[in-house]
Amino acid sequence: MQVNDLLIETNLVNDIQVKPLSIEIKDVSVKFKSNQGGEYIAIRNIDLNVKQGEIISFIGHSGCGKSTLMNTISGMVKPSTGEVIVNGKKVTGPGPDRGIVFQNYSLLPWLTVYKNIYEAVDSVMKDKSKTEKKKITLKNLEMVNLLAHKDKLPVQLSGGMKQRVAIARAFAINPSVLLLDEPFGALDALTKGSMHVELLKLWNLDNRSKTIIMVTHDIEEAIFLSDRVVVLSNGPAATIKEIVDVNLPRPRNKKDIVSLPEYKSTRERLLNLLMDKFSIEDEGMEYKH
Amino acid sequence: MKKILNKTSQILVYRSIRFGYFLLGLGMMLVLWHLLSIPTDGELPGPLQTMTIFFELVLNPFYDLGPNDKGIGNQLLSSLARVGKGFLLGSVIAIPIGMLMGASKLGMNLLNPMVQILRPVSPLAWFPLGLVAFQSAQASTVFVIFITSLWPTLINTAFGVSSIPEDHKNVARAYGFSTFKYVTKVLIPYTLPHIITGLRLSVGIAWMVIVAAEMLSGGVGIGFFVWDSWNALSLERVMSAILIIGLVGFLLDKMFKSLQKRFSYAS
Repeated sequence: MQVNDLLIETNLVNDIQVKPLSIEIKDVSVKFKSNQGGEYIAIRNIDLNVKQGEIISFIGHSGCGKSTLMNTISGMVKPSTGEVIVNGKKVTGPGPDRGIVFQNYSLLPWLTVYKNIYEAVDSVMKDKSKTEKKKITLKNLEMVNLLAHKDKLPVQLSGGMKQRVAIARAFAINPSVLLLDEPFGALDALTKGSMHVELLKLWNLDNRSKTIIMVTHDIEEAIFLSDRVVVLSNGPAATIKEIVDVNLPRPRNKKDIVSLPEYKSTRERLLNLLMDKFSIEDEGMEYKH
Repeated sequence: MKKILNKTSQILVYRSIRFGYFLLGLGMMLVLWHLLSIPTDGELPGPLQTMTIFFELVLNPFYDLGPNDKGIGNQLLSSLARVGKGFLLGSVIAIPIGMLMGASKLGMNLLNPMVQILRPVSPLAWFPLGLVAFQSAQASTVFVIFITSLWPTLINTAFGVSSIPEDHKNVARAYGFSTFKYVTKVLIPYTLPHIITGLRLSVGIAWMVIVAAEMLSGGVGIGFFVWDSWNALSLERVMSAILIIGLVGFLLDKMFKSLQKRFSYAS
């Protein structure tokens, strides 16, 4: 009981504290040229502010433009109108203040696990000495429990291990914003569960100072990890349909939170938002009593 | 321990079976050759006559009795030297141009039509141009090999560079790789297997073309040796030369195959 009170209290303190804005998305639209010479509007008029240390999930149906929206933050996609500001600076391209974990791990297959991380560290932290960069690489490998596998090639690793390398790589460059593009989509449920815990552990180790944006289509994952879940409408020209707050105390425990009423109501709200076509198939059916 | 022994003995069995097949195939070919040579009444030398000459040639490969009578080893070495020079020059030019074509749309659009038109031309057609340019049949032969070695390497390199997966490029962009880091850690490791495939094809074709080129150029060389043997009406020597050319070509290919193996990666 006491512990629970304490958790709620720290949660309140977090809320009251005025944290600086980490990401400002201002009226962002993204248009692509289609092959027929026309225009395809992926997302339009997106406005979103994210505080430092928040964990935000973008959720929506596949093809709704959630990855596109995230890529405007990473700088891989340029907004057609509007702008994205990260840490007070307008995004013009990818930068070392934002670490990216890609959908398909994106490790370089000819480099060892150690080298995959080291090259990223070496590239971002140019003014550090070789020994320091080595230390950072090893520290991050240790954080994801992969020190024993450091000399293996990616092909020798399981999917979960590869994703841990990718996460360690993103953490190793010590970015203030971490961008995860469907990071656990290819993993089995059990591995996924332990990866969630591992991600939160890493976030805690850093005093919850890193802002994390994650693209997902997994409702449970979004609720367990995020402070807020941004639901996007179906594309083309997707917009923010609703932002759902997740008022679950941290640290969260997978087993315990599922029985909380807040968890259930949040889950229901998200299900309703995402599954409005829920009953179409039922309508056409004839029930025989 | 038992398991390891088992494995090595398995490999041994597998290899001896393969060698058995090789001997069987060789035997069949020799018999066929022998049968074919009978009705020609010795005009087409049979395997036995050829083998006698073959060992004569191979056992004394490096004699030199004037410009028209040199050992088979001398002939081979000078051919290999020409192929080596032309191939090296061709590769040095083809790899960077291929990279340029693969990396930039402009480069591809600018150069690809030329490559596509020149590629199907028999390299021997360049021989007269070489004669005019270098005033020497030997240099012209090297020039022909140079042209031969360009196309497969160039096309494979261009394909390799242009097919670098977006994922790999995104890693480089996301982590701000410098151009140097991108080239050494992404571009070259990804493209190298493609380049080596190109080199392997190039050297194979170059080894074929050198025989024809040396028939035109004369002098010393395995191609000239074939032509000279024909003029001396020694088909045994021609057959021996065919065997030797085949063996050397096989070894060259093996060399590049092992290079390919060395630089490929599992993804």
